[in-house]
Amino acid sequence: MVDALSAVFQRPNFLTFVIIFLWGFYIMVTRYNLVKKLIGMYLVQTSVIFFLVSISAKKGATVPVLLSNTEPVKAASYANPLPHVLTLTAIVVGVATLGVGLALCAAIYRKYGSLDEQKILERME
Amino acid sequence: MSHQLPAILFLLPLFAAISMPVVCLKHRHWCQRIALVILAAMVLTSILNLHNVVRHGEVRYVFSGWAVPLGIEWVADGLASVVLVLLSVLGLLGVVFTGPTSPKALGGRIVHYYTLILLLISALTGIVFARDLFNLFVFLEVGAISSYALVGVAGGRALFAAFRYLILGTLGASLYLLGVSYLYAVSGTLNMGDIAGRLPLLLHSKALVGGLLFIFIGLGIKMALVPFHAWMPEAYTYAPDSISPILAPLVTKVALLAWVRIIYWVLNATIVIYDIPILLLVDVLGMLAAVIGASLALAQRNIKMMFAYGGISHIGIILIGIGQGNPTGFAGGVFYLLNDAVMQAALFFIAGVAFFQYGIKTIDDLGRVGKQAPWLVGSLVVVGLGMIGLPPTGGFFGKWYIILGALEAGNYISVIAVVLSTLLTLAYFVKLFEGIFRQKPTQPEGQFDEIPLSFKLTLGITSAAIMVLGIFSAPIVQLLSNQALPPGL
Repeated sequence: MVDALSAVFQRPNFLTFVIIFLWGFYIMVTRYNLVKKLIGMYLVQTSVIFFLVSISAKKGATVPVLLSNTEPVKAASYANPLPHVLTLTAIVVGVATLGVGLALCAAIYRKYGSLDEQKILERME
Repeated sequence: MSHQLPAILFLLPLFAAISMPVVCLKHRHWCQRIALVILAAMVLTSILNLHNVVRHGEVRYVFSGWAVPLGIEWVADGLASVVLVLLSVLGLLGVVFTGPTSPKALGGRIVHYYTLILLLISALTGIVFARDLFNLFVFLEVGAISSYALVGVAGGRALFAAFRYLILGTLGASLYLLGVSYLYAVSGTLNMGDIAGRLPLLLHSKALVGGLLFIFIGLGIKMALVPFHAWMPEAYTYAPDSISPILAPLVTKVALLAWVRIIYWVLNATIVIYDIPILLLVDVLGMLAAVIGASLALAQRNIKMMFAYGGISHIGIILIGIGQGNPTGFAGGVFYLLNDAVMQAALFFIAGVAFFQYGIKTIDDLGRVGKQAPWLVGSLVVVGLGMIGLPPTGGFFGKWYIILGALEAGNYISVIAVVLSTLLTLAYFVKLFEGIFRQKPTQPEGQFDEIPLSFKLTLGITSAAIMVLGIFSAPIVQLLSNQALPPGL
């Protein structure tokens, strides 16, 4: 038990990821306001991106641009660029999704005059 | 030239989608023509591609010349090529069908509509070809964002369904991305073949198990697998009538294909992780989906809702075939996937014609038109035979091979699940036909207009395709078991 706990607290980034993810999920499930649901959804997306960044962090490494042409390449002194590229793409995808979500929210508000899920369901009947 | 075909197949709809808003800014009536021409070209190219793959073996396409572990790889193998022919043909039929319904149903958003459809089709092409887990994620999301917008494009009640679809779909995508980053962290690569090569060393890693779990749940949401299917019937029911026949057969089936890719091409199919055989999991989920989906369909009165739940149960039947772990079951499952996509398209074409031409939404309305709608009732009978699985149709042979595969694997429970799901399907089609043939017309029958040519075309072609798939089932299954089987099966 102590081992498991100390393993968890030695990795604060994973702990942060779990907290943000569950927080976002909780908001998505429990809130009736559609914009709040979107905020929860965005938290979930951001937590996954945070996880991706945190597993690729490397101490004492620099940007992956060769410092000199003559010396042999030491892979250990460069950061892996791939996770960062993935992160960028994931951010773009997240922003696009959020944009469509907000557009839908605006259209729903114009039609039903409310953003509350229960009121919308009532007015739909 | 022929090795560029996968990229051409992807770029055709993509470029058309991007140029559509510019070209059609002033000439809205060009939209449908451009989409028709592009998709017809895509049908021809995909047939050429299938011919090429059957003749010369699979085509490996690497983007901008970066070799495999670094670059992004696309592979046009037998399975991808067959599914791509299906995808482009159904996309073309969907656009043909859209013609008469569009001005009324879409509220003037014609340019947006065709742009999104072409974007969706190019994204689905990407999912079919991709052999890179992250590339797969990007195309899943491009396709999903287009579908959210397509469901909501006409406004009204569909907006709320689209919003729910968006929330659940994005949760699925986030879980998939999380799973992919687990797999990346543990294996250091994103290429499917590369991960498969490194897998034997990782079997006892908990990160692998967690990553696979997240990927399975994420794709399960995308393909409307039973515990995660809540978004699907609503989205397809309230979506405009011209869009459901494009979304219903393609989006969930292509997500299922991505799942099959990960199970068979990344994992070795016979793999046992922590005492759980993966294929058993697939089989059990398939049985649940097949029976529960069909039971829920039986409870519906809205015809589109009923067809959507029918689609959920058929995804289960495909998974039962895939999960048997022998060539017969796999080929049967893929053959059933082709049939099911055609049948879903036909069902939603029928629902679209029923509403657009005759104002029918529920089973109770069906009796009102009855014999005045020969095209509607005729194709409904053919599709009904296919969905139930009676001999001359492709649906029968699909189920036949799946049951053969299950018997070969000694899985008698799967056989029972398929039969049970068939009986439930029979029950809800009997309910539907009863609505048409038994009910006496309660009110004086009005005269209906002649249905437009494009409706006749789409209904006729899909019904004929269901029959043709049945008649030529032997050569098609032969082709699938020669060309489309995963490695090691």
